[in-house]
Parts: sequence; C-alpha cells; structure tokens
Amino acid sequence: MLDAFSKAVITADAKTAPIGGAELDALKGFVAEGNKRLDAVNAITSNASCAVSDAVSGMICENNGLIQAGGNCYPTRRMAACLRDGEIILRYVAYALLAGDASVLDDRCLNGLKETYIALGVPLQSSVRSVNIMKAIAVAHITNTNTEANGGARFRKMDTIDGDCSALAAEAASYFDRVAAALG
Amino acid sequence: MKSVITTVVTSADAAGRLPSSSDLESVQGSLQRAAARLEAAEKLAGNIDAVAKEGYDACIQKYSYLNNDGEANSTDVFKEKCLRDIKHYLRLINYCLVVGGTGPLDEWGIAGAREVYRTLNLPTAPYVEALRFIRDRLCSPRDMSAQAGTEFRALLDYTINSLS
Repeated sequence: MLDAFSKAVITADAKTAPIGGAELDALKGFVAEGNKRLDAVNAITSNASCAVSDAVSGMICENNGLIQAGGNCYPTRRMAACLRDGEIILRYVAYALLAGDASVLDDRCLNGLKETYIALGVPLQSSVRSVNIMKAIAVAHITNTNTEANGGARFRKMDTIDGDCSALAAEAASYFDRVAAALG
Repeated sequence: MKSVITTVVTSADAAGRLPSSSDLESVQGSLQRAAARLEAAEKLAGNIDAVAKEGYDACIQKYSYLNNDGEANSTDVFKEKCLRDIKHYLRLINYCLVVGGTGPLDEWGIAGAREVYRTLNLPTAPYVEALRFIRDRLCSPRDMSAQAGTEFRALLDYTINSLS
C-alpha cells in the first residue's frame, strides 16, 4: 500500500533520482493542506451510514425489481449484503482519500471485484448507480454544498467552512469514478 | 511502504472500521512534523552530488590503502562506483525523509547489504566513515534548520548502525 509520499518515492526510485523540485513542492502542498484533507475524510466517515443507506435505497427506488421475488435485494438477507458492500466500498474510498493515493482502493477492494460480482450474479449497473449516489453525497458534504432539498428529513451540513475543502472533492470524486470504472 | 498514513490505514482495515478521529489525529501529528523532514529532503536533493563527493573524499583520505592495486578504490571504474554507492545511501535517506519512516532504507539499502558486501569483498568501515563525516559536517542553520538537521542526522545514524 502506498500514500502520496511513498508514491513519490517509488516514482523517483525508478529514475534513481532524489526527490526535489516540483515533486517535493507537491508534497509540501499535501502537508500544508493536510487539515483540509482530514476534514474531507471526516465528512465522509461522519455521514457513512446515511450515505450507504441513501445510495442503496435510491438504487432500489429507481429499479423496484431489485426487491421483488427473484431480485438481487430480495429478501432482507441479500439487501443486508448489499448495504454491507456499499459500506466496504465507501470505507476504501475514505482510506484512499486519507492516503492521497488510490493503491489501497485498487489492491484491497477493486482487484477482482467485478469478477466476484459477475460470479455471484450481482447486477453491475445497479452497483455503479449506488456508487454514483455515494459520490454525490460525499462531494456535497466535502464541499459543504448540501441543501435541504437534497438532504430531505435527514438534512445535515458539516461544521467546516463552506467550500474550504473543495479541492479535495474532485479527488474524492475521482476515487468513486475509479470504482465505477472497475465495475463498468 | 510503511509510513504513518499506511500504518493507520492498515490497522483500520484490519478492524474493518472507517478512519476514526484518533486515526485522523495520528495522521495530523505526522503532517505537523513533515515540514522539517521535507526541508531536509529538499536541501539534500539540491546538493546531493557535492555532499556525496565530500563524504567520499573524507573516507578515501582516512582509508588511503583503498587506492592501492587490487583494492576497492584502485581504478577509475571502482572510484566511480564507490562514489555512486555513497550517493545511493544519500538518495535512500532522501526518500526516508519524504516518507517519514525508514522503509526505503530498510527495503532497498539494508536488506541483503551484508551478503552483498561480503560477496564483493568490500569493507563497510569506509561507508561508515563517509556517512559519519557527512553527519558531523552538517551545520545548522548554514545547511538547513536545526529541526531538519536532527531528522537528517537521525537517518544517517540509522544507516551507520546498520553497517556497523
């Protein structure tokens, strides 16, 4: 597993060059913006159960066949497995965002996930849809642009300054896109 | 590769939990100390050739028999390789400063070093002398700030200990 720092080391070692100049400046930026990164991770973890349940129920609302007999979220035992998987994916995205590198997500979550889902008969299109809902929720909480219209009865805004972590929303979104691409 | 962040993620993953606030605190602690480490890495990267040359010259001066026929520093090719080895250690120290752990030195510099040096019939004392010279030559604030110097010296000592 790598983080932003060890990733720079692996890249530099391939060229047998010391790390200086632009690469080091990028890492200094990582350190200077470190608190924002932690706030962004906190925005995901604090809303994890809400994000997962919204994602899975949203996916089912758009495709009711999933909870009818023969659907992949029927009966509750299978829907519970679905909720569990949503939480696992969100957890690895949070790890990747904390580390500033996608390797933990790739190695420990996405590697072989599509094959597993195909073998188990899990519909990939629905899985991708729930990942995208989680992405929208994560981005809204990281940028703090969540609205009452979007949040509904469970509307919630983080305590951080609005837009303070916006730079990290794009990074977090890229990890969700990575999951979607791996399943697609 | 081992660093504070990967350690935190590994333990959170083993427990199957999301990063908790204490996990985030440990990462925050490591980031606070990172400024000094990165300064040392930057200064070292900027002068790595000169620093390696100074260390090399010092160790050859102390162990001048290495220049004799058949010894490790006798030909131009050998001289170049000796200098390259010292630069190699400094580069790994630069990586360790960036990562904030001894992972790069452990994995790429120390593991197997004893066997390699024994096979090639190389003495380790000159390496120790070169690194010792670099350590003692380091001066704050001329070369880098005091905290950055402490981080750099700690890794030089770590390398020296591994070769002793």
